[in-house]
Amino acid sequence: MDLNFTPEDIAFRARVRKWFEDNTPRGEMRTLDERKAWHRKMYEAGFIGMGWPAEYGGKNARPMEQAIVSDEMTRANAPSAVNGLGTSICGPTIIVHGNEQQKQRFLKKILNADEIWCQLFSEPNAGSDLASLKTRAEDKGDHYEINGQKVWTSGGTIADWGILLARTDTTVPKHQGISFFLINMRQPGIEVRPLKQITGGSEFCEVFFTNARVEKENLIGKLNQGWMIAQTTLGYERGSGTLNRVTAYMMSLRRLLGATRKLKKNGGAAFDDLLVRQKLGRAFVELEVMRYSGLRTLSRLEKGLRPGPESSIAKLYYSEYGKRYHEWVMEILGPYGNVLEGAPPEFSGPDRIDGGGQTAWGVSFLGSRGPTIYAGTSEIQKNIIGERVLGLPKEVRMDRMQSKGE
Amino acid sequence: MDFDFTQEQAALRDSARDYLSQKCTTQFVRTMFEDPTGFSKPMWKEMAGLGWLGLTFPEENDGLGLGMVELALMLEEMGRAVFPGPYFASVLLAGGAIKAAGDKSQKQKYLGGIASGDVIATMGMLEDAPNWDAEGIALNAQAGGGGFVLNGMKRFVPFAQAADVMLIPARTSKNADPGKGISLFLVEAKGKGVESSPMKNIDLTNKASEVRFNNVMVPEENVVGEIDNGWHVVQKVLQQAAVGASAEMLGAARKSMEMSVEYAKMREAFGQKLGQFQAIKHKLADMLVDVESSHSAVYYAAWAQDAQSADAALAASVAKAYVGDAARKVCGEAIQVHGGIGFTWDFDLHLWFKRAKFYEPMFGDAEYHRELAARALAG
Ligand SMILES: Cc1cc2nc3c(=O)[nH]c(=O)nc-3n(C[C@H](O)[C@H](O)[C@H](O)COP(=O)(O)OP(=O)(O)OC[C@H]3O[C@@H](n4cnc5c(N)ncnc54)[C@H](O)[C@@H]3O)c2cc1C
Ligand SMILES: Cc1cc2nc3c(=O)[nH]c(=O)nc-3n(C[C@H](O)[C@H](O)[C@H](O)COP(=O)(O)OP(=O)(O)OC[C@H]3O[C@@H](n4cnc5c(N)ncnc54)[C@H](O)[C@@H]3O)c2cc1C
Repeated sequence: MDLNFTPEDIAFRARVRKWFEDNTPRGEMRTLDERKAWHRKMYEAGFIGMGWPAEYGGKNARPMEQAIVSDEMTRANAPSAVNGLGTSICGPTIIVHGNEQQKQRFLKKILNADEIWCQLFSEPNAGSDLASLKTRAEDKGDHYEINGQKVWTSGGTIADWGILLARTDTTVPKHQGISFFLINMRQPGIEVRPLKQITGGSEFCEVFFTNARVEKENLIGKLNQGWMIAQTTLGYERGSGTLNRVTAYMMSLRRLLGATRKLKKNGGAAFDDLLVRQKLGRAFVELEVMRYSGLRTLSRLEKGLRPGPESSIAKLYYSEYGKRYHEWVMEILGPYGNVLEGAPPEFSGPDRIDGGGQTAWGVSFLGSRGPTIYAGTSEIQKNIIGERVLGLPKEVRMDRMQSKGE
Repeated sequence: MDFDFTQEQAALRDSARDYLSQKCTTQFVRTMFEDPTGFSKPMWKEMAGLGWLGLTFPEENDGLGLGMVELALMLEEMGRAVFPGPYFASVLLAGGAIKAAGDKSQKQKYLGGIASGDVIATMGMLEDAPNWDAEGIALNAQAGGGGFVLNGMKRFVPFAQAADVMLIPARTSKNADPGKGISLFLVEAKGKGVESSPMKNIDLTNKASEVRFNNVMVPEENVVGEIDNGWHVVQKVLQQAAVGASAEMLGAARKSMEMSVEYAKMREAFGQKLGQFQAIKHKLADMLVDVESSHSAVYYAAWAQDAQSADAALAASVAKAYVGDAARKVCGEAIQVHGGIGFTWDFDLHLWFKRAKFYEPMFGDAEYHRELAARALAG
């Protein structure tokens, strides 16, 4: 056991910190071009797709290096990479399952943000139970024709391309009739409508396909193998998240601490109130545990071990922590927590969790409801932990008793 | 960065688990319920032979020279086995204080004695207020007669009935700062003026006593460390005790979880295994999250002690606060998952539930350590 960072890691961190100090754009970025330019700048510095193999434009970076870069990005409150889904999910899928022609065509443009990507998986009636998706892809000889609807598509309005799961065989059990496509979002058969989120922002969309086109060459893997491909642990972006998530909360917690020194309670500062201190103490304790567990995960990744289903434990911990933490924030700040605009500066909110400026406490609170839903809801994570980690018997499922996808 | 145990550490854990699962069966544990000293002398001697009683003592004092990580591994196994006996009291508490502040001859005599199993030591901290701060220490020590005269009372003294010697923090002078004026004394447990009466716990494997000191003479040579300057030693021991108690609670929690998982795979109700019901499956998943997070907290804190890292005190508080809550939840939910059988005396599950509960308030409860964490946050 040795939980010290190596001298190389420390030196690497210092270099990365310096780079973000010198290069992080000040002020909010307003245009897509500005966001692409920032993405490109980070790519050129070697910080984007750094876990990808060198032959596809990556750096074969170790999980620890990836974790450090993400962490320093957070510390600098740097805006996130505009093509984050491209580099974290879409690109790695193409690297693992794509053919050489697909790799040549797409990977470079993902890395330098020439083409922005989105993920077209969820549907109105297929979320957790993704395999029951109904969007169809029909073989039209020289191309596939897509009809149906996707929803909750993050970044749908800015995307040039998407990874798409669609049904290609309705006569077999539902998991066996799905294929994995790359689809050009810039075509007449696709309509993207932004959806307003509970935070008031519009990051996800609904996407309608009416006789939309996928070229034959843009099928990934074999026909009807889509489910297996979607299940593969993708992610050359390993280690990212383990440190920076804790740093983001730590920065928020420090801001909250500052507010409790200004906020009046019982004739003194809220910070001197024992109940407030218990909440701060709990927030700090549970955050430190998240940090220790993150180091434990990193240490496994550094040895080349895959995180496996245990990553569900981390997902469950941080996403549920986020909700608890923000409830304490709102309790401590009282009505100031609800204010979106017009609060005195000492009660204005934390840095945005995805970087690039400040947000209101209330928005940060609302945002905390997302992570226990996306990337596998908490209930689904518990099913995974129960069945794949603890080896408990599977629950009785009606859909396993039926044989057809419809 | 390496969060895994070394081969030696893993081997120590395996041998502890092997030994305890053979010798310290729950059948044996139950025979200690009504035993006044609460431990088996032959087993104690065997553990001395394995080197465990001097695990963390210097080699020149017949110890193995290992650190807090190894001690935490040992204590986790003891929690898992609900080991009955004065290991925590003798090795971690009293041994820890003597190791930290004792002089050469004290170390030789007491650490050597503890390591060989010939001396059983304990430490008395709490008095009538269950207060882990320096204000809690009121027991009076007056200079006189070539030494000191102790008058007062300690409660919750672990395994006082089994002990030969007790390490007693007492007040040698009154100051505005309660942390000043505390000195540490080694007191013969069966000496003149020392009276112990048992305080029976819900955890029947953890003995404790109220100990009264009536004009107890302690010779000068039994002062550990400097006069009036003993509190920092107690603080250090309390930190390690917080980590050690967390390790025991972790052992109890993991065992309770494993038993629950096995039970849920086997027991049927409504034509299904219990583990197929999400109400049970999700409970067990939550238990695993608590147990694995507790593992991270315990071993980070133990490592921080050994590495003397800047956040060692904070990490001890984090572990005690987090694991205290987690073990309470996990051991309690284990009983829930077992239904009626979990509420019986003959089924073993309550042993771990009680072990975890025993350590919850000891060395500061979760609330106390959250307060310390809040202070650390504020810097
Ligand atoms: C901010 C945000 C961004 C997103 N971005 C994208 C994106 O870019 N691309 C994309 O494809 N999708 C995206 N999603 C969609 C996300 O993946 C789905 O919302 C998620 O899979 C849950 O599906 P659902 O919303 O249909 O809820 P449902 O699956 O209908 O679930 C409703 C409730 O039922 C529970 N439930 C469902 N099945 C079970 C079960 N077997 N056992 C116990 N409980 C169960 C769930 O846990 C949940 O609490 C995003 C979602 C959010 C919130
Ligand atoms: C103090 C005490 C006094 C009692 N007195 C009496 C008495 O006088 N007379 C008498 O006849 N009985 C008595 N009982 C028995 C009591 O009614 C049963 O213990 C109770 O019905 C639970 O049954 P079980 O113990 O077999 O647990 P199980 O039914 O095996 O349950 C084990 C666990 O699985 C859960 N579980 C079971 N089925 C489901 C499901 N469908 N969905 C989700 N979770 C499920 C349970 O909630 C529990 O957590 C007593 C029990 C106690 C503790």
